[in-house]
Amino acid sequence: MDELPSLKQQFLEETDRISDLAGLQLVRAKYLGKKGIVTSQLKALSSVPADKRREYGKALNEMKGFAEETLKGLELSLKETEKAKRLLAEKTDITLPGRFTPFGRRHPISQVLSEIEDIFVSMGFRVEDGPEIELDYYNFEALNIPKDHPARDMQDTFYVSDDVVLRTHTSPVQVRVMEKHKPPLKIIAPGKVYRCDADVSHTAMFHQVEGLMVDTDISFSDLKGVLELFIHTFFGRDIPVRFRPSYFPFTEPSAEVDMGCIFCSGGGCRMCKGTGWIEILGSGLVNPRVFEMAGYNSEDYTGFAFGMGVERITLLKYSIDDIRLFFENDIRFLRQF
Amino acid sequence: MKVSFDWLKDFVDVQAAPPEVADRLTMAGLEVEGVEDVGDDVLFEVNVTPNRPDCLSILGIARETAAAFGLPLKTPAAEIGGELPPAGVTVEIIAPELCHRYAGRLITGIKVADSPAWIKDRLEKCGIRSLNSNIVDVTNYVLLELGHPLHAFDADKLAESMIRIATAGEKASIATLDGVERKLPAEALLIWDSRRPVAVAGIMGGEESSVKSDTVNIFLESAYFLPSSIRRTSKKLGLRTESSYRFERGTDIEFLEKALDRAAFLIRETGGGEVHAIVDVYPRKYVPLRVEADHRRINSLLGTDISKDEMRNMLSGAGIRTEDHGETFAAFPPAYRRDVTRYVDLAEEVARIYNYDNIPVTLPKTPLSGGGVTRKEKDREQLHESMRKSGFTEVINYSFMNPADLDLLALPDDDIRRRHVSVLNPLRQEDSLMRTTLLPSLLNNFVYNISRGAGDLRLYELSKVFIDRGERLPDEESRLGGIFYREGLPSIWKEEAPAFFTLKGALGSLFGELKVGDVEFVQSEEVFLHSGKSADMVREGRKLGFIGELAPGVVESLRLKVRKPEVLVFEMDVEVLLSFVPETLRYSPVPKYPPIERDVALILDEHITAAAVRKVINEFGSPYMEDVELFDAYRGKNIPEKKKSLAFRIIYRSPDRTLTDDEVETVHQELVEFILRETGGEIRG
Repeated sequence: MDELPSLKQQFLEETDRISDLAGLQLVRAKYLGKKGIVTSQLKALSSVPADKRREYGKALNEMKGFAEETLKGLELSLKETEKAKRLLAEKTDITLPGRFTPFGRRHPISQVLSEIEDIFVSMGFRVEDGPEIELDYYNFEALNIPKDHPARDMQDTFYVSDDVVLRTHTSPVQVRVMEKHKPPLKIIAPGKVYRCDADVSHTAMFHQVEGLMVDTDISFSDLKGVLELFIHTFFGRDIPVRFRPSYFPFTEPSAEVDMGCIFCSGGGCRMCKGTGWIEILGSGLVNPRVFEMAGYNSEDYTGFAFGMGVERITLLKYSIDDIRLFFENDIRFLRQF
Repeated sequence: MKVSFDWLKDFVDVQAAPPEVADRLTMAGLEVEGVEDVGDDVLFEVNVTPNRPDCLSILGIARETAAAFGLPLKTPAAEIGGELPPAGVTVEIIAPELCHRYAGRLITGIKVADSPAWIKDRLEKCGIRSLNSNIVDVTNYVLLELGHPLHAFDADKLAESMIRIATAGEKASIATLDGVERKLPAEALLIWDSRRPVAVAGIMGGEESSVKSDTVNIFLESAYFLPSSIRRTSKKLGLRTESSYRFERGTDIEFLEKALDRAAFLIRETGGGEVHAIVDVYPRKYVPLRVEADHRRINSLLGTDISKDEMRNMLSGAGIRTEDHGETFAAFPPAYRRDVTRYVDLAEEVARIYNYDNIPVTLPKTPLSGGGVTRKEKDREQLHESMRKSGFTEVINYSFMNPADLDLLALPDDDIRRRHVSVLNPLRQEDSLMRTTLLPSLLNNFVYNISRGAGDLRLYELSKVFIDRGERLPDEESRLGGIFYREGLPSIWKEEAPAFFTLKGALGSLFGELKVGDVEFVQSEEVFLHSGKSADMVREGRKLGFIGELAPGVVESLRLKVRKPEVLVFEMDVEVLLSFVPETLRYSPVPKYPPIERDVALILDEHITAAAVRKVINEFGSPYMEDVELFDAYRGKNIPEKKKSLAFRIIYRSPDRTLTDDEVETVHQELVEFILRETGGEIRG
């Protein structure tokens, strides 16, 4: 019985030396195991003289309880430490790159085309398609540009034969659609067009979006409304827009649409040639002759048409200074969009 | 066209500063593209549209300026004074349908000399070189000033003092002023003397009858020629001049004698001489056009509310006389405005003067309609997105190809891709064909990027190709094509599939996105592909396209240093592909009961394909077989020569109960035996 305090002392010393769970198990077995010191002494209680047995038994049980508590507490903290150690050992360099196949990019022209299409589709326009190699008739004649007309000089044309050309604009789609469908019509026709011309600001191929709306009562003010809405949606609410007279054989009256220069906010810069305005669209009311050629009664219908160059809009959107970049397809260029 | 502000002020007393004038002109439809200070003058660069030949002169711009600022128009001095009789030259129009009017004056006793500085100066500012001849300079001066081209003949060189206006007929030729001997097309309109052509009408004079330093008597021509005739001849001769440019757009037939007088006046001022009376042959008199107009209709077209009187005032400001008819009115455009022929043209004039900016902004009253995107467009969008998610970047190439490309690909003569469309006037010979396949462009993109240091390249294009099938217009078919190259640069994370299978996988996800199943990969016949690493993609006997490694010869011909020989390409016919996209989609229930998996590893003859084994498995057709997955393909150690190992995982499941191990085991054993029997293979131990 006298040895109990020293047993406790010994237990505490050994406990202090425990550094891991294995060590803890050894100590636990030594004192609390089946053959452990405390267990053995408890088993041997019967041999203790009766008068001391009770007191000694109490002390032994206290000792047992103390050892269990101490070891339990120590086990918990050791487990925490080991967990922390393991996590530390598994620590990884989180700055290494992730493994992935980078998504590809859509061509900037493609992206801008989609954006333009979405705006008009949301206004109820339908998307139409037409041939890129086109009859002279649809590309010119039916659009009120007869042979030997000086307006043909406005577009340098690639010829495939006397009466077949690479379409110089998307306008022939207007006529093809009108031949097939009766008004009301609300269409856009995006696509490639070709001009026999190449320099910093011209490429032999580029993209246009044509638009056409025909009904019984479409006015020039409606044309202004729809195109302003488009420009404001695409470039921003506060961009000023102006319409000025121009000439396209297939529209009358015709209008060129300018927007306030987005680079200098109208103050005048290199991009707008100092005018504060940037040309963005050609448009006008459909010339009655075009209706007649397409088989509509020009007394019954009015409409407007417009066309825009997608490259030009893309150049403006991303401040690109050379249109040829679009067709060089340099991956270092394409990956920026 | 260059316009001198100083010269403009001869015609209109405009007080506004040049930039403001430029702005007003632009808003009136005469776009001033540039304003340039030159000494004490300002030059405008005006873009005159083809419908406004009346503005191809200082006078024309002045007319617009005067209208824009509400100022009167001044006319320059052209008093001829006491004239001599029209002695000498006779004029006969033999082709009145091509020459509606021909006028001229004989000027005798002139002295050819240098022009005064003020004429030279104005000509040069406006881009015409002074020619050390006051006579030629004056005709050019009047052309710029009044927009009417004139021509001066040496009157003594006109045989029998005769002017005849007739077409060339057979075998006519002339040495023109520029020293070129020209054969003339039969329908070309010419000016003849009694024997030979002396000028190509409206385009260029002849060398022989031209005014030279010793000329003393001249005959000055001012005429109206049919625009389309001048244009045709000018195009055929490939000869464009300031003169033809104006004639082919249309000149003012009613005004031409004023231009003639102005020139005669200036010649007398600068070279002396005596001006004879006018000779004026005018067989096709100009009849003013009458255009019926209704201000209500014009208002409804423009979306404006302008009164009839206001509208008539505006038109009169633009030089268009009107006549009131109560409810409506009639308009009579002047001879210099031949572009105004219908009420819509009047509407444009009204809008122009009213200013486009003052027209209200409205939205169409048309009822809402279902706009939108068709199914096909949505599917195409899927193609783009699918390629993009597999790491492919979109390129857009010119639709042209080089004739040599077809040989580079060694396409056989009867290949459909040889049925190309040619462009008659290409910019370069290399761009003279329209593409029949996207492949050549993609190879260009490859060469371009690799030679600039790219080591990894995944590019695709979705564009049309053009196949000539003998119809009036070629077939335009959409193709999806791509190129894939991987240098296999050292990378921190390893384990990449061989290039062919990476590309095949990308197309697999694309088919998955579109829900196009059962695409077979069969041996390809494409000669430009590696015969052992290429495939045609086929469904229901229709070829979707090809995929494969470029044949070594093709890669060599690109003359490019590549670290890896494997350059992979593919191309698909988009219409065929999309025709297999199911129209509707039906839900199938999510399985309720657990699956049981069984593996089978086989040793097979090396020529037996995975697809063939899969086909055998499918033929076995147990109702419980839900899925078959190939999870290992191996050749080499532990496998006999000319053999290979394939391992499949079979997933068994019943839709309405949990299967027992025993029943699956029975089915699986039967399947394994069936496979071994059908393939002649054995189980890999």
